Amino acid sequence: MDLTVIIQILSIGLTIGALYALIAVGLNLIYGTMRLLNIAHGELIMMGAYLTYSLFTGMGVSPLLSIFAVMLLSLLFGLVICAGIFLPLVKKSSSVGGLESSSLLVFFGISIILTNVACLVWSADIRGYSYLTGMVSVAGVSIMYNKVVAFGIALFVCVGCYLLLQKTMLGKAVRALIQDREAARLVGINTSVIYFFSFGTGFAMAGLAGCLLSMFYEITPFIGMPYTIVAFIVVVLGGLGNLFGSLIGGFLLGLFEAVGVSVTSPGYRPILSYAVFMLVILLRPEGIFTKRKRV
Amino acid sequence: MRKRAGVVAVCFMSLLLVGFSFQASAKDVITFGYSIALTGVHSAGAQGQIEAYSTWEEIVNKRGGIFVKEENKKLPVKLVHYDDQSEPGTAVRIYEKLITQDKVDLILPPYVTPAHFAVAPLAQKYKVPLVGGTAASVKLREIKNDWFWFVTAAMPDRQERALVDLLKDLKVKTVAIAYLQEIFPKENLQFLEPYLKEAKIDVVLLKDYPVAEKDLKSLLSQIKAKNPDAVVCLSYPGDTFTIVTQAQEVGLNPKFLFGLVGPATLVFKPKFGPAVEGISGMGNWSPKMKTFGNKEFVDAFMAKHKKMPDALNSTDGYVPCQVMEQAIEKVGLDRQKLRDYIAANEFQGIQGPVKFKGSENIKATAGVLQWQKGEMEVIWPKSIATAKPVYPKPAWPK
Repeated sequence: MDLTVIIQILSIGLTIGALYALIAVGLNLIYGTMRLLNIAHGELIMMGAYLTYSLFTGMGVSPLLSIFAVMLLSLLFGLVICAGIFLPLVKKSSSVGGLESSSLLVFFGISIILTNVACLVWSADIRGYSYLTGMVSVAGVSIMYNKVVAFGIALFVCVGCYLLLQKTMLGKAVRALIQDREAARLVGINTSVIYFFSFGTGFAMAGLAGCLLSMFYEITPFIGMPYTIVAFIVVVLGGLGNLFGSLIGGFLLGLFEAVGVSVTSPGYRPILSYAVFMLVILLRPEGIFTKRKRV
Repeated sequence: MRKRAGVVAVCFMSLLLVGFSFQASAKDVITFGYSIALTGVHSAGAQGQIEAYSTWEEIVNKRGGIFVKEENKKLPVKLVHYDDQSEPGTAVRIYEKLITQDKVDLILPPYVTPAHFAVAPLAQKYKVPLVGGTAASVKLREIKNDWFWFVTAAMPDRQERALVDLLKDLKVKTVAIAYLQEIFPKENLQFLEPYLKEAKIDVVLLKDYPVAEKDLKSLLSQIKAKNPDAVVCLSYPGDTFTIVTQAQEVGLNPKFLFGLVGPATLVFKPKFGPAVEGISGMGNWSPKMKTFGNKEFVDAFMAKHKKMPDALNSTDGYVPCQVMEQAIEKVGLDRQKLRDYIAANEFQGIQGPVKFKGSENIKATAGVLQWQKGEMEVIWPKSIATAKPVYPKPAWPK
């Protein structure tokens, strides 16, 4: 294998990997802190993509600027959903299992509503726009600027989020909550604040992901579900509730897919990612980056 | 409890109202029912067809409706539709409901081949003529001659014949083929390969890829390494987007680049801007053509939807409406008479004349479109061409 092929595969794997990581960290944050499975995560990405598209084509706002608007809107939406639906749900649920299943239904409902809202507002036509389509050449491999930018931003936000959780008091509280909800409450952590934080951040990260991928992928109201599935694979790979695991897992899956597809054929991509998913579930159900066995 | 009873009562009343409104309007309008993919994988393509239907409704009603013999007057047209979520099984249930419960006068077709195949037996069962536009398969020829099902679009074998004739005319020597794992692209491939062989054009690479694939860079790099004259992608809109984006990235710029379904979609030009120049796709229609009702259609469409019609889905969706309209004007609303008239006579449509042999439109032209100076031109066959092919395709813009 010569150098150009390796760089080609690396460039594909890292760009997709960074997006996978961004999407998975957002999903895992909400799951880890609240035990809520957000299967509307992909639809939030889709909404982020549409908002960016509309701002760009309607008002000429650069997608890099709309990042802020989209993240803010997603964050607000997250807070509203959290306060309106999920806090009452968390308070009412007697068991973690019950909460997981009822949240699944609610999020499923939200995903259907978002898809149909997108259908009504933007119609089912495929949308897309061109932005930063110039090329940068790395050792003979051309990569579009928009992908480089997306990679940089996704990586920056993922690492930033990770550092926030590792280095700050707020992060410590979030991690404490992920470890043990009751104990966290006992030592005086205001769980509601953490819930809001994780919901808002998770939603904002999904919006950001949509914003970034709208620069190079086409948009329809139905693009969400595949991203939700990928996010679940990454989360399982890295361990439920393990944010560092999601970060690394995203990159691993992205690279694995890129290598697998280039040595076989694009037709094998779903088989490859589901094979990873099943292997992890069979061999290390707690995720490859989680040391401690879950009790 | 009382609240629930109230809700039930309201639901019941509204059902009654709906029922009455149908009955009351049965005599002074012609209702057409259809099921279509408002949501799901095919919804993006179905959009163009829905817009064609609503344009037709408006055009006809502006004229005061369609003349119906039995009533001895013009009746306006009313369209009723439901979402089948891109699932052929759901489409079947919806048509059953439209015919038996809603009691529509006639039906318009759903979107895309699998749904047509699922619904056709129902048209037969209830003896309602089904004239479809957005379906194509040579399997249609196996359908019995007395069927109620007609398809206006050109079949894949003729489509590929047109493409290979064009390639021959352009003196293309080598071709790389990438095809999507879907029924329609695969059926096209069945004909493309032998025709290319016949024309002594070498296939230097043949690869498939799955639906919703996001990264075709490795595949496109492999194609680039073979340096073929032409790249033929048997594709749908989503993957055509991926191919055009990533071909620019890997620097693949063949002399001829073809996408089956996709280059004709409306969003193609806004998405790619000047990069569309020279890209070709399947289609036989251009707004410039002087076919029957074409100007009226384009003008009404632009006025209603504030955009150009989709060269494939909107025009394929409109032709069946024209056939229905012309048949009703001759024989009225009797379903059996309509079927017999449609089966035996020639019609005029925006894509040219329509004449059925069995279920197939033997006058359908299969053609190739190409983006030239920001407009879609018909470049093949020469008989309907609006422009000469641009060959070789210009370089990607910097």
